[in-house]
Amino acid sequence: MQQDKKQKDINSPINVLILAVVLCVVCSLVVSTAAVGLKSLQDANVALDRKANLLSVTGFEDLGSADDINKLFGERFEVEIIDLETGQPAVEEAMEALSAAGKKMESPEETLTKYSQVWASKSKKPSVSAQIPKGEDLVGIKYREKFSHVYILKSEAGDVEKYVFPVRGYGLWSMMKGFLAVEPDLQTVAGLTFYEHAETPGLGGEIKSPKFRAQWPGKKIFGDSGDVRVQVVKSAPDDDYSIDALTGATITSKGVSNMMKYWLGEEGFGPYIKQKKGTSAETSMVTQGDNTNG
Amino acid sequence: MAKSNSDLVMDPVFDNNPIALQVLGICSALAVTTQLSTSLVMSIAVIVVTACSGAAVAAIRHRIPSSIRIIVQMTIIASLVIVVDQVLKAFAFKLSQELSVFVGLIITNCIVMGRAEGFAMKNSVKDSFLDGIGNGLGYGLILMVVGFFRELFGSGKLFGITVLPLQSDGGWYEPNGLMLLSPSAFFIIGFFICALRMWKTDQIEEA
Repeated sequence: MQQDKKQKDINSPINVLILAVVLCVVCSLVVSTAAVGLKSLQDANVALDRKANLLSVTGFEDLGSADDINKLFGERFEVEIIDLETGQPAVEEAMEALSAAGKKMESPEETLTKYSQVWASKSKKPSVSAQIPKGEDLVGIKYREKFSHVYILKSEAGDVEKYVFPVRGYGLWSMMKGFLAVEPDLQTVAGLTFYEHAETPGLGGEIKSPKFRAQWPGKKIFGDSGDVRVQVVKSAPDDDYSIDALTGATITSKGVSNMMKYWLGEEGFGPYIKQKKGTSAETSMVTQGDNTNG
Repeated sequence: MAKSNSDLVMDPVFDNNPIALQVLGICSALAVTTQLSTSLVMSIAVIVVTACSGAAVAAIRHRIPSSIRIIVQMTIIASLVIVVDQVLKAFAFKLSQELSVFVGLIITNCIVMGRAEGFAMKNSVKDSFLDGIGNGLGYGLILMVVGFFRELFGSGKLFGITVLPLQSDGGWYEPNGLMLLSPSAFFIIGFFICALRMWKTDQIEEA
């Protein structure tokens, strides 16, 4: 009899409510403590992972320990922030724009390491991003940041060996974020890697597979009239521009293709590429290849 | 009904294995077992989650209204899984990226829910904790066995160290591509169940 009464108490609506509330509070406390407490370690891991990805997309293998990666990255890579519209270096401008958007940076150096273009795009703040007109948003980001990182791999003598552009775009389920490495002629792809995505493992997730990645080096980016021609298509023709799409992942493949079109086009790194090609044309008219069309 | 501590832990490993006898939780057993290192991390994660969730559910079992008991269990399990995921991201970043969504999917692993509902709701905190460890171990055992065969025959390695030199690297071993695909895990689990039931004949179901 007493047992029954106790059972009734537990099942009364007020008890159900109390237990639910207490449980939710306790669980959220546990989860948020873990998330906040481990944040700095996780951020360090993410920063290291970016560097490892930048090194691997430019052809470095067997990277070794965290210290090795940091050292190699520091020695060989030059990080720039550019104004996407003009293609000019714009660290100072980015710093000002960021403080206007409420993210104070102490120095240009800090801006270079801490600036996050994904944050800038998501913030939708007018000083650091601009809304993309309807129909032109090939990559599903809605707002495009005004400033972008460019990573330049230099030889020990100081010559440019590769340019690496951060690219991203929406696939089937997720924003796929990666790095596109380009040869100094700004026409030949040197490699593509993805460091973050949540596409279906085994289907769209194959964008990270060695087989898919191996198709990219050597592909040409721009056609004769300067349009972006590199693309991902089903049963790709055997030419300089086409990459074979992933089986069972039509939308992911299309997303990667659109990503190239957007970020290498006028809205993305087009102005930067044009400007770089222009300066290299002035300084070395004789060595200009036949495939640069500024 | 009272079992000794060692029974609580060891029973689910061979006599009442969650995968081999209860056939629970095989989905993740297919996905993460191409390498031993991911199998090991996944096993540890599941052991931690089943043990802690069992203990937590048992601790409040007299206060859980039966109308929302499943949701209460889910909430506890989900919170623990998120904590485990965060810890992995902080201390084993590479492995957590390889495991990707599968750590999160421990939430839906039938073993965890099954033990919370089937055992922890009726038993003491200590027993539930040990039962969780046992069932986690039973799951882990299968993962390690499957991972061992898949990595050895699929890529000629164990824990990333070359054991059978591949032909592509100048060795003699031609890797078996099937081992890298999910169906191979079904075959290996099948053989494991077969071997286990030949050893422990009382597990054979009547036809």
